[in-house]
Amino acid sequence: MITDLNGFNKAFESKARLGIMSILMANESADFNTLKSLLELTDGNLAGHTRNLEELGYIQSEKRFIGRKPNTSFSVTEKGREAFTAHVAALASFLKNNA
Amino acid sequence: MKDNEAFEVLGEIKRMMEKSSRFQAVSGISIIVVGIYACIASVVTGYLLGLNDWLPFLPKVDEIRLNTPSRIRWAVLLAVALFLLSFLTVTLMSYLKAKRHHLRFVVDKRMLQMAFNFLLPLGIGALLCIALIIQGHYGLTSSIMLLFYGLALVNCQHYTYPALRFLGYGEIVLGLIDCFSIHHGLLFWFLGFGVFHILFGILYSLKYDRIK
Repeated sequence: MITDLNGFNKAFESKARLGIMSILMANESADFNTLKSLLELTDGNLAGHTRNLEELGYIQSEKRFIGRKPNTSFSVTEKGREAFTAHVAALASFLKNNA
Repeated sequence: MKDNEAFEVLGEIKRMMEKSSRFQAVSGISIIVVGIYACIASVVTGYLLGLNDWLPFLPKVDEIRLNTPSRIRWAVLLAVALFLLSFLTVTLMSYLKAKRHHLRFVVDKRMLQMAFNFLLPLGIGALLCIALIIQGHYGLTSSIMLLFYGLALVNCQHYTYPALRFLGYGEIVLGLIDCFSIHHGLLFWFLGFGVFHILFGILYSLKYDRIK
């Protein structure tokens, strides 16, 4: 986990990746199209960010078929949950210390 | 990072969590439309049952037709039709709103949970009403409808805008007053399903329909 001096996680610097994590923290799982429409991203853009988070081990994907359509659904891993919680805590304490 | 940046990021996280887990597509205009349906339906029911002195501005007829089984049957049919029409209206208009604002509108686990939590009290109330009507007790019908509808709204507050519960509380209070008053069922029904929906719908669409 790469963090800066304030304890902010570099992986969550991008708005898209932060959004993906927020959605997956609040829901058990979300599929590709749900994420796409909620975040208003393009296919390629979202695929890049999810691959990135998956490589870090923060989220996991499950591919299956609904009828004939392939469907990928994502959920947050234990590691991702910890990293995200730490990131939010760092944001909160940053605000507190600078108030 | 500056202060306001951190603040914005936290706000963005909260917004995304709510947008993804709560059903925000409920259209305020559709609530108003449902209220208008209910107003029309209660006036029609009034004529059907010969109860046309319950609203002061309606023209009167002399014939009293209360407690005639066939007329009650028509009233029940009207109520069922009204429910289906309202359900379709809200669903369709919410779907359109979701499309416009990129909101969540998919039949997933959460939506099914919301539907279950809404329909459980509503279904029990409907069965109770039907049972009482079959046994010839018409007096409490309107208050049971208001009470169980109110409970259904309160019951699904965690799946949509929490403000919806206030409409639920309103219906419950009205239903309770209705229990204890005699012969004003249709008036309470008109207030609860008609006027409350229209007022709440206006407030709701001012607050939530224009969100980005």
